Amino acid sequence: MKARAARQLVLFAAAGLLLAVWAFPVLWGLLTSLKTERDVLAYPPKVLFEPTLANYREVLFGASSILPNLASSAIVAGLATILTMLFAVPAAYALARLEFPAKRTSGFYILATQMLPPVGLIIPYYLVLQRIGGLDTYAGLTAIYLTFSLPFAIWLMVSYFEDIPREMEEAALLDRAGRLRSLLYVILPQVRGGIAVTTIFVFLNAWNEFLFAVVLGGNRVRPVTVAMFNFISVEQTQWARLAAAAMLAMAPVILLGLIAQRHIVKGLTVGAVKGGGRR
Amino acid sequence: MSELGRVTLSGIVKRHGTFTALHGIDLEIAPGEFFVLLGPSGSGKTTTLRILAGLEPHDEGRVLQDGVDVTERAPGERDVAMVFQSYALYPHMTVHDNIAFPLRMVGTAAGEIQTAVRDAAAKVHIEHLLDRRPGQLSGGQQQRCALARAIVRKPRLFLLDEPLSNLDAKLRVETRVELRKLQRALNVTTVYVTHDQEEAMTLADRIAVFMEGRIAQVGRPGDIYSRPASVVVAGFIGSPPMNLLAAEVQGNALVVAGVTVPLHRDLGPTGPVTLGLRAGALKIADSGIPARIYLVEDLGDATILDLHVGDHLIKMRAERRPDVREGDEIKLAFAPDAIHLFDSVSGSRRAL
Repeated sequence: MKARAARQLVLFAAAGLLLAVWAFPVLWGLLTSLKTERDVLAYPPKVLFEPTLANYREVLFGASSILPNLASSAIVAGLATILTMLFAVPAAYALARLEFPAKRTSGFYILATQMLPPVGLIIPYYLVLQRIGGLDTYAGLTAIYLTFSLPFAIWLMVSYFEDIPREMEEAALLDRAGRLRSLLYVILPQVRGGIAVTTIFVFLNAWNEFLFAVVLGGNRVRPVTVAMFNFISVEQTQWARLAAAAMLAMAPVILLGLIAQRHIVKGLTVGAVKGGGRR
Repeated sequence: MSELGRVTLSGIVKRHGTFTALHGIDLEIAPGEFFVLLGPSGSGKTTTLRILAGLEPHDEGRVLQDGVDVTERAPGERDVAMVFQSYALYPHMTVHDNIAFPLRMVGTAAGEIQTAVRDAAAKVHIEHLLDRRPGQLSGGQQQRCALARAIVRKPRLFLLDEPLSNLDAKLRVETRVELRKLQRALNVTTVYVTHDQEEAMTLADRIAVFMEGRIAQVGRPGDIYSRPASVVVAGFIGSPPMNLLAAEVQGNALVVAGVTVPLHRDLGPTGPVTLGLRAGALKIADSGIPARIYLVEDLGDATILDLHVGDHLIKMRAERRPDVREGDEIKLAFAPDAIHLFDSVSGSRRAL
């Protein structure tokens, strides 16, 4: 009993430490976003100060409003997520269950695309998009996002499909559901958790993406990650506004994480316990 | 109704690469029959069942249902229902929805589904569990739910793949009895796979004994027990299985372990044979085959003696506990009509 209590204590301490390390920059950013530029630059840093919402007002409704950029991010990330899931779910099902020519090869190819460093692809992507007039367009950037979100989503979804006993589907086939209805009524409801987790990961990856957005975007398509960068200029860095923008950009991410917490935890442990089909 | 449900397998061959899992299976199953595919694991019985269901492609041969070739038909087009070893219940649906699923898939009217589901659930005594999910059921209840889902749409053919193997021993025996009664009442042709020969003996109208991808024998349980067609069947059927000893026919006598046993009956051509004797057919006598007692197993209602005869270990069953101890030297006798003789090379039964 005592050993257990001690164990609990150590676990809590470790969790607390990790949380502190993770939360410190976020909290620091939150504090910074509520300070005036003068307070930000004060040394030693002020812990007690008069909070202001001026920075939020400025980045939302001022001259350098990031509202269009938040919209831009939402459109690109939303489109990329919807398209990714639309293709990834059936593709993953096929890889997990069906027999088709070059199945192993295509499975490996999907994994291989994940191994390339994205930086190495920027120039070719730029040239291709330029050639077809896809630079600074939603279609162009979304398409590029698909090139990495799709393999990732397929790869993640395959493990969820493989977790479902084959007999489950055979039972559905014998019950005259056919391939499509057994997928819709029997298989998909059992991978809802996986679909939720994958959707969130894909959305977050797209939402947080910076490198491709800064190179392949432009004045029309400028996601919030790129817009934030504008608060850092050669002459000065507007730390307080940058922090406020960062808080706004982070908000949907954190919200999503909180809402889907349960699913994500389950998703991370998929396959860890045998018989995951009987949840 | 009982006219429908004839199943014919002819020349079914199944290969996995260079390995041949089934070497030409031929079977004729009559309408309403309870037919058991019995064999050790890896003998091809489950593969045969899956080919019947259309779940597994095969390389040669044909599957016929009531004379119609269904070899090329998809599983859903064969009018078969199956109970899987794992039950394969849909975990996200209630028991009610699980049972209703096959009916919903063929567009049965909602009212009709209600009645049919209640009916099927009542037949397997789970009508009080309809709102539960499979995860909230015990193993036995899950098994019943799987049964209900299979019987609800009154299929022409009922396939069961080791349905009782996940139940504990007591429940298995109870469910076995119920299953038999249920099948009689429904009168649906049933093909049942098991490796448990006791299960096969009690359930089956007829049994096909599978050995290494071939059917070693087809027959009624009693026939297979009393007249095993080969050494492998004899060594598999019965608990304990039949004792097998090398022997030699010399006229009307058998030479076993160096002792000549006169049997006063025709034993066929002189020469080496394999002698088969059930454990219950052996008796301790004043003269006969010499044996040394290796182990005494007391079962309560009977005693099993494990005996060394030469290098062979055989078993003898005695109703009353004989006054012997481990290590004792005894003599064994048997009635002349209790013997089974098998060809010492081919292993096939010698007709006497």
